[in-house]
Amino acid sequence: MTGKNTKQKPKGTKKGGRDKKKRHGPRLPSAVRKELEHLNADPNLEQSELEKDEFGEDVYEYDEETPEEETRKNRRYDSVDNYEYELPKEFEDEDVPSEDEELDSEPSEKSDDDQENSRHPRMLEDITGLPSMAFDGQQKKQIVVTDFQGDLNGKKISIHDLLDPLQQEPGYKNLRKKLHKIETKPMTVQVPLPKEEREKLERKVAYYHTRKDMTKWEPLVKRNREAPTLHFDADVNLGFSTVGSIASEFEPRTEFEKKMALLVHDPEIVDAYNKDGVRLLELNKINIEDVKEHQHRLAKMRSLLFNHEMKSKRIKKIKSKTYHRILKKERLKAASAMEMDPEVAKENARKQEFKRAEERMTLKHKNRSKWAQRILKRGLDIQDEGTRSAITEQLHQHALLTRKMNSIEDNSDDDDNSTDDNDNDDSDELLSEKGKKNVSKLLNKAKESTLKALEDASELPKSGVFALPFMERGLKKQQDAVEEEARMALDEYDASLRQHEKGHDIKNPKSAKVSGRKVFGPLKDKLQKPHKRRNTFNDDHNSDSEGGSDTIDRADVDEEVNNPAQNANLGPASDDDSENVTHSIFKSFDDIVKEPGPKTTFEVAIFASDCWKKINGENVVDAGSTKAAAIQNSQMLMHLPEPEDMDQDSDGDSEEKMVDGFLSSSPKRDYELPSQADLIHQAFAGDDVEAEFEKYKLEHLNEECPEPEKPELIPGWGQWTDIQQKRGMPSWMINEHKNAKRKREEALKKRKDASLKNVIISENVDKKAEKLLAKTLPFPYTSEEVYEQSIRMPIGPDFNPAITAGTLNRPTVVKKPGVIIKPIQYEEVDPNDDPDQPRRIVQKPKAQPKANKDNSARGKLKKMASTKKKIKP
Amino acid sequence: MISATQQKIADELDVRARKYLRGDGANLETLRDKKLKGQLANREKLYGQSAKAAAKAEKWLLPSEEGYLEPEGLEKTWMIKQESIVREVDISSFRKPFDMILPDLGPYKLEYTPSGRYMVMGGRKGHLAMIDMLNMNLIKEFQVRETVRDVVFLQNEQFFAVAQKKYPYIYNWRGTEIHCLKEHGAALKLQFLDKHFLLASVNKSAQLHYQDVSTGVIVANYRTGLGRTDVMQVNPYNAVIGLGHSAGKVTMWKPTSAKPLVTMLCHFGPVTDIAFHKGGHLMATTGMDHKIKLWDIRKFGLLHSYTAHAQMLDFSQKGMLALGNKSHVHIWRDSGNQDYKQYMSHEMVKGYQLAKVCFRPYEDVLGIGHSMGLSSIIVPGAGEPNFDSWVANPYETKKQRREKEVHALIDKLQPETIMLEPTKIGTLKPRRTKANPTKKEIQEEMETAIDAAKNITFKKKTKGRNKPSKRTKKKEEGVFKAKRPFLEQKTEERPFKRQKEEVELPKALQRFSRKKA
Repeated sequence: MTGKNTKQKPKGTKKGGRDKKKRHGPRLPSAVRKELEHLNADPNLEQSELEKDEFGEDVYEYDEETPEEETRKNRRYDSVDNYEYELPKEFEDEDVPSEDEELDSEPSEKSDDDQENSRHPRMLEDITGLPSMAFDGQQKKQIVVTDFQGDLNGKKISIHDLLDPLQQEPGYKNLRKKLHKIETKPMTVQVPLPKEEREKLERKVAYYHTRKDMTKWEPLVKRNREAPTLHFDADVNLGFSTVGSIASEFEPRTEFEKKMALLVHDPEIVDAYNKDGVRLLELNKINIEDVKEHQHRLAKMRSLLFNHEMKSKRIKKIKSKTYHRILKKERLKAASAMEMDPEVAKENARKQEFKRAEERMTLKHKNRSKWAQRILKRGLDIQDEGTRSAITEQLHQHALLTRKMNSIEDNSDDDDNSTDDNDNDDSDELLSEKGKKNVSKLLNKAKESTLKALEDASELPKSGVFALPFMERGLKKQQDAVEEEARMALDEYDASLRQHEKGHDIKNPKSAKVSGRKVFGPLKDKLQKPHKRRNTFNDDHNSDSEGGSDTIDRADVDEEVNNPAQNANLGPASDDDSENVTHSIFKSFDDIVKEPGPKTTFEVAIFASDCWKKINGENVVDAGSTKAAAIQNSQMLMHLPEPEDMDQDSDGDSEEKMVDGFLSSSPKRDYELPSQADLIHQAFAGDDVEAEFEKYKLEHLNEECPEPEKPELIPGWGQWTDIQQKRGMPSWMINEHKNAKRKREEALKKRKDASLKNVIISENVDKKAEKLLAKTLPFPYTSEEVYEQSIRMPIGPDFNPAITAGTLNRPTVVKKPGVIIKPIQYEEVDPNDDPDQPRRIVQKPKAQPKANKDNSARGKLKKMASTKKKIKP
Repeated sequence: MISATQQKIADELDVRARKYLRGDGANLETLRDKKLKGQLANREKLYGQSAKAAAKAEKWLLPSEEGYLEPEGLEKTWMIKQESIVREVDISSFRKPFDMILPDLGPYKLEYTPSGRYMVMGGRKGHLAMIDMLNMNLIKEFQVRETVRDVVFLQNEQFFAVAQKKYPYIYNWRGTEIHCLKEHGAALKLQFLDKHFLLASVNKSAQLHYQDVSTGVIVANYRTGLGRTDVMQVNPYNAVIGLGHSAGKVTMWKPTSAKPLVTMLCHFGPVTDIAFHKGGHLMATTGMDHKIKLWDIRKFGLLHSYTAHAQMLDFSQKGMLALGNKSHVHIWRDSGNQDYKQYMSHEMVKGYQLAKVCFRPYEDVLGIGHSMGLSSIIVPGAGEPNFDSWVANPYETKKQRREKEVHALIDKLQPETIMLEPTKIGTLKPRRTKANPTKKEIQEEMETAIDAAKNITFKKKTKGRNKPSKRTKKKEEGVFKAKRPFLEQKTEERPFKRQKEEVELPKALQRFSRKKA
């Protein structure tokens, strides 16, 4: 506040001065004016330089100006006249109120001043004829100046000089730091963006928001457009009687009912019910919509998480080191670029401006959201810490974004300052002697905070996205890591504390200086190493044992494998072989003949007839054995070919033959039907139907696709001499004929019956039936195939079951007569909705749209509140 | 988890649903229009639902399934006699087989209504009768004392047409003569196209007549030019009429075409009968050349040829084929892959000459008209076991009948809708080049060709070949190329004109020319 006033005041006085100059201008001689200008020039410069300092920048200005007034002491002008003539109401009005305040403060200050200063305004008043108020500003400033004028010995005063006497004061440190900062890093105020640009940004914001408003409608419109049918229904909600409403009208009549009612309405029971039962019941109630909404929200969150995960996974998967380096660099750059690059700064400013414009437009952070309003409505003090802090954070954001441009930088600077301060404090305290106690305090504090954090961390969130199993797992993992670190940190704190206590007088800057990480490193390693070692040991052990067992197993297996193999190779095989050999050796042909067993198998084999080879093989073996076998074989061979012959016979006739007069299958050798067929064929042979039909077809073709006339010359044409006759027909005629012939042949080839021998299919176009065909492809279709496929299904009730015939033939808009179609109303579109469901749009009556809306809105709010309640516990 | 049975049921439903989907949907991936894509996808979804619902209804709601004779061991189905079947069946089916001996007014033609409830029979010598087959109630019986060649029901049992000696007549159920259709002449065979309300007849002079019975207009009258025939059958799938001729040809006709749509050479001798399968893709023909042939009439190819003789054929609703020959009746059944094998046989008393075999709709019954009256035999699995009361209701009330008649009249199809491929209705007209296009058409064609040539986008070429001048030149060339054939056509026309002008004689001969008056 004071700063602002000080800034304003010189302005006012200046104005007054300028006015004065204007008014008195013509009366001042040019020499004096020059002098004035000359005098004014320097202090102005100084002023502009010193304006950054908050102290006494105006001092010199007004100090220099006094001589200007003093020049008037020379009484060159008629002061009285001036006074009467010049004093305008406006002038007074402008200055008086502010002056009054200062006049009030003046006397107290004046008392501190020298005699000279108190006399000086009066003198001025006398000389110039102006009221003393005109000089008030300078005088006020002069107060400060005079205070130090005594110490001034020709050299300039620096701020450090001014600060020195304040060294013992409590706020000194802060002041000094600020000053230091100002000296090292001169603060620059960002130049506000030009008006055009600002307006452009505003327009951009406006456009962005309107676009958002419009896009909000998109899914709704899309859904309506895509819906196969839209139903516009009148609002016919008559309110239906529920079980509850019916029950409420119940009045006990009989004795029993009355007794029951007495019991039910017993105040004690009611009280108990209200206290406990209602709440229980309320908890039991779950709205389907709420559950659905909850599920959708969960699904959305899940998908978002999944997407994020996939993205990070993908980025993580990229092996390129350069890519990661660049990514990291960019991130760093983005962080540091703020101060470095003017362009980036400008970009930042633009962004900030955009945000500010948006904030002004939407007042997003001014407790206007439903959430904030609801919280405020319920009272802030009921809320828990988190919500309250969130609300304050929001308000802070709003304040930040809507504050005037110039003050943007300050805030951030303040923040920086504070953090810096802390750091500096720490270092200072560490450096100072009495800071030693603080070290232990600090360590204790840190210990406490870590313990607290550990406790906090152990509580896992039980709802929301973090309750999802994979999130839970991740969190747990993270927590474990954090806990470990915290534990180590605790150990570290303890150790350092002990050390600190031990070597209280021995300063060990190194140990104090060493940052946590450096200390943790080896510790962690040590901690981890044994574990690792154990692991490796385990692994080794495992591997060893496994390896051992493996090897043993393997050996066993090998042995086993080998053994059976050997066994198999050697034992049984040798046995078998030997047996086989012995068998083969000892089996004599006579035995085979004599033995009944093999013989039977032999016969079976014959009948099964799939063991032909076997038989052959044995035949080979048995070849010269006994005559009986040979005879048998020959008999068998004799029998076998017979069916083949039969097959051949039957193959000869491709046509099926029927029994019983109609059919001539299973013919016997002496059956005479084929000859009958021949007879029939012979009977109709005279007709030669086929040739006739060929002729007929040719005629038909000629009729439909006439053969070109043979080129003939008009008799007498070109027969004047022998030479001309020799030339024959002109080539164009022959060509024409040829072309026509070729065309005809092509046309004939294209016919449907071209490949069908005994069929003529008429290609004549039925003109009457042509009106049943589409002349051109109907509009939305571009391909004939798709169009023809789309009309393949009949949609009439004769061809479709009753349950689908209706949907197949429903018009795009279904509306009862009398229902007025209202403009579209916004509603949330559920993305999980089935798009094929018929869309019903209820046209609410016009009479009480407002009340209706309010009701619905309230209902919604209530519902939301209730859902929150239900979900929270 | 879905259990095996559920999976099985689902698979079966899928198979059934495919039938109702009537082919696959179009490949929507190729479509660029998103809106159309969305709409079509939605449609396809609905079609799928509809097909599924239909399949489910078919599976779960249709109460009964057809049954067949199942032989055990070496037993053959065709060896099973009617007596043994009748002994086993339930009482309602027990009543169905019968023999009606009407020896005087001999060989009888017969016809059932589409619902299978009523039967009209016409004796060659003028005996007409209508019987309610449900309760075997004779509704009307009368004598016209004239040769009766064929009988046919019109839209319902109220009217029937009779091909008599000189003309066909229309009677109502009371036997009152309603119309005499003199334009038809001495019709040999009658057919009624119920969706189109057309009565078709072929007369002695081989003329095919179509008459609209709702308006009385003769829709078409064509001379077949293939000789006298009494073989005519309507294809229930597309209402195309098939005629069998003496030269072994089978022709197919529609009322809006003076020439047959298809002419096939089916037999070497005269064709004795034709029958069409309900599905519309199978045709059976029999001829004097001792052959029975099955044809695929989608591609007009021969499927099977059997050496057997039959004078009359008829397909049942479930695709059984009845063959009548002299006094034998044989029934063949599809043994898979449209290969028909004998299923049943029935012997009439020797000397009975068959005149007509006709399956009764929605019943496992075959009606046989012969020279000694009527017979009906049981053929297990012949008829559709479940009737759709919207299509044909055997238990129709009077009101329902009237309602249905009105509906049928409203839904009457125009004669031009009869075509070989009725699914082609509504599709794009095939582009065909006219023999002699008019000037305007040529102009239009040329303009479209030029437009197409102008809209060609050229590849981006390098090395100075992508200059604007080069591109325009290329484009101009393309346009000229597109134009040229049309211009050539025009120039070709010129020489004729010149020839006409050149009639003027050379100077030397001019003096001989006759001076114009």
